[in-house]
Amino acid sequence: MLEFNNIQAGYGQLPVLRGVSLAIEKGTVLALMGRNGMGKTTLCKACNGLLETTAGSMRVDGEDVTGMPAFKIARRGLATVPQGRDVFEDFTVDENLCLGGPVPGAIYDWFPALAPLRHRMAGTLSGGEQQMVAIGRALARKPKVLLLDEPSEGLQPSVIHEMGVVLRRVVDDVGLTILLVEQHIELVQALAGSVAFLANGVIAEQVPVAVLSDTLNDAEGPVHRHLCI
Amino acid sequence: MNRLTPSFSAATAAVVFVALALVPVLDSGYWTGQATRYVLFGMFAMSLSLLWGRAGLLAFGHAVFFGIGGYGMASLTMGLFGDGTVWALLARPWVALPVSVAGAGLAAAALGWFLFLGRGVSGAYLAIITLSVAVIVEQAVRGVYALGGDNGLVGVPALGAWAANPFDPVPMFYAVLVTAVVVYVGLDLLLRSRVGALLTAVSTNPDRLGHFGYSVFAVRLGAFVLGAAIAGLAGAMFVATDGFASPSLIGFGLSAEVLIWVALGGRSIVLAAFLGAVAVRLAEAFLSGLLGDFWLLALGLVFMGSVVLLPQGLIATPMLWLNNRLGQGSKSKSRAAPGPANEGMV
Amino acid sequence: MIEALPIFLDALSFVLILVLVASGLVIVFGMMGIINLAHGELFLLGAYTVVVAQGLGAPFWLAAALAPLVVGLAGLAIELLLVRFVVHRPLDTILATWGLSIAIKQIVVLAFGPGSHSVAVPIDGAISVGGFTYPAYRIVLMVVATAVIAGAGYVLVRTRMGLLARAVIARPDTSANLGINTGRVTQVSFAVGAGLAGLAGALVAPLISVDPQMGLGFLVPAFLAILVGGAGSMTGLVAGGSLVGGLDSLLGGWVSPVLAQITVFVLAILVIRLRPGGLFPGRGRRP
Repeated sequence: MLEFNNIQAGYGQLPVLRGVSLAIEKGTVLALMGRNGMGKTTLCKACNGLLETTAGSMRVDGEDVTGMPAFKIARRGLATVPQGRDVFEDFTVDENLCLGGPVPGAIYDWFPALAPLRHRMAGTLSGGEQQMVAIGRALARKPKVLLLDEPSEGLQPSVIHEMGVVLRRVVDDVGLTILLVEQHIELVQALAGSVAFLANGVIAEQVPVAVLSDTLNDAEGPVHRHLCI
Repeated sequence: MNRLTPSFSAATAAVVFVALALVPVLDSGYWTGQATRYVLFGMFAMSLSLLWGRAGLLAFGHAVFFGIGGYGMASLTMGLFGDGTVWALLARPWVALPVSVAGAGLAAAALGWFLFLGRGVSGAYLAIITLSVAVIVEQAVRGVYALGGDNGLVGVPALGAWAANPFDPVPMFYAVLVTAVVVYVGLDLLLRSRVGALLTAVSTNPDRLGHFGYSVFAVRLGAFVLGAAIAGLAGAMFVATDGFASPSLIGFGLSAEVLIWVALGGRSIVLAAFLGAVAVRLAEAFLSGLLGDFWLLALGLVFMGSVVLLPQGLIATPMLWLNNRLGQGSKSKSRAAPGPANEGMV
Repeated sequence: MIEALPIFLDALSFVLILVLVASGLVIVFGMMGIINLAHGELFLLGAYTVVVAQGLGAPFWLAAALAPLVVGLAGLAIELLLVRFVVHRPLDTILATWGLSIAIKQIVVLAFGPGSHSVAVPIDGAISVGGFTYPAYRIVLMVVATAVIAGAGYVLVRTRMGLLARAVIARPDTSANLGINTGRVTQVSFAVGAGLAGLAGALVAPLISVDPQMGLGFLVPAFLAILVGGAGSMTGLVAGGSLVGGLDSLLGGWVSPVLAQITVFVLAILVIRLRPGGLFPGRGRRP
């Protein structure tokens, strides 16, 4: 459903992604982990069209979207939940949600806590509530692929746990394909089917999530090798 | 690389200034007089290039300082302030000149204090504020009877008896040319020194400069004041050459013109800015009669095209190209680290 | 007191026109982060549209309705042919649009001559209420301007188009990721801003002398209004326009136009020093 083939991208003369290849099957959740500065957010931007790639290709649901402007990639079925949530603070929750398109009632089923907050300014919500708005806004587009960039950032553990539960429900209900860029291991374990590690601008390793869990404390395990210094 | 090597820079400057020095040989009358004005406008353009090309401050009202220098010179040497001994002293041209320059610098310091303190205003806001300053100052000056109102001040004395013969513009021309050379050399040395690196830093990465302990405010203010002082110097000498200070020298019209000269010549290379002023004035002298009302239209279109397609400038771009070609052909060990401003940089 | 009323009404009409002119600038600055220095010439083109219409014998109100369309199209052309290429270089956009303004002014000079034209006031006569009289056209102008400003505000705040525009102003990247064609939204907004300036020029044409230099006279107060009021919200725009336009007009009438401009300018830079975002910065671009 989402495919990267040798994606290269960077900022000015600074190359960051040096040939990233990934494939995510429909209905699965792939987690992308890596140390800070390895290029996770760069990959997100290359994926959703905010950053031009210098080489390589990308497909969404079989369709080649390489080089397309961001809004076209979004219209081809890729929805993004950006790092830091990026809700529109001066719009109401309703307005935020319907920016992508008409809001299916299911959104309020998945996020019942948002229903009473419909007409509140998004800027007045807590971090967890804003995250629900950001995810709901992305889901309102009925996307084929959901891209989440560090959704746990800045949230307290109980909220992260709740978010994991909701996302699990959505994946099960709708068969959504997700690329989850994350540092938070528990969320990865709750959601992902497999885990890829980004290091030095390429995918260094990809393992099923069971392997991740089993080798969590192994000095030779992927977590230690790729995430610890 | 987008700076000229010192040798290329010196060579081209030498060619330009020697060529200018020969103008009186060709025509010691009309064209020498014209050349005097062109060189003064060139000096004015150099001061804007310092501000805009190096410090990144797009000033839309730079003629205000040119005009302060001009009107200061005129009002002091014409004794408009009174007859006391102090004023008599100030009326001597060689005293009035630095005082006018200082006046322009002080005005810049005052305005700059508002504009650059704290976070300072952004480039866009700076442009529209300085534009508004120019419009308002010109209107104000036109409204002041003592400054001659719309007609300006007529009868400004020359810089000295040696320049007082209205039929012999040659001595004043050489005085102006020497001043321009001194200003050019001074600016060139300054920009190749650590100060030049500071200016580049403040225009490209001001936040980081602050972390190194440099005051972004001080650098900007310093550049602004120096630019204003040089503009004031050009304005004061201009008025002493023309014998006449008019509101058109202090307003938006001239501010916009100098911007065009510097944009067309080359904003980051001081010599290119100088040549831009000279070239556009020369072109105007020959073409505006020919093209009539189409001259301004042509200028506007060329200006637009230059900004969009050759933002470095129509004169600077070939200069840089030539400079880089000659640099590549040279067999000397490459002392150029990968990066633009590396002359004399720490 | 009643004698002072006409002066206040004059100030009010100036304020309304100023808000119309400044709104185009604010839309473009908020959405694209650039200043369009040819904006004064868009105002100018609106006035000259009326001049042309008058020459062709068309009624004033038809011309005034056409002016925003004509100038809006001109704005679209400017965005497509010029601004699009320099928009990522904000300082160069200022210069390029300044070059365009020179070109437009000269084209107007070539087509109409450098002198001024006068446009006949479409509604003669005055309205008398109580003890004082006031020109009828000015009242109509104020009503029309208020209606247009209110309408624009309504569109911005209550329609989907306005929502999209506000989204692109607030967070252009996130908007693109939501499938919003930010390029198209920006183009349309640019054209709308131009149209508003054109309408302002058309409305004002019967009251002032229409000449090629008239753009700058409204551009500078519009800038000052934005500096004072803030570029981030409608409230800021209206507040800035009221303060700047009101002071300029009242002081200009009572004392002198030059002193009025100087006062307004000093006020503006004081506001900038103390509150760099203006009185109502909103959440858009930081200055």
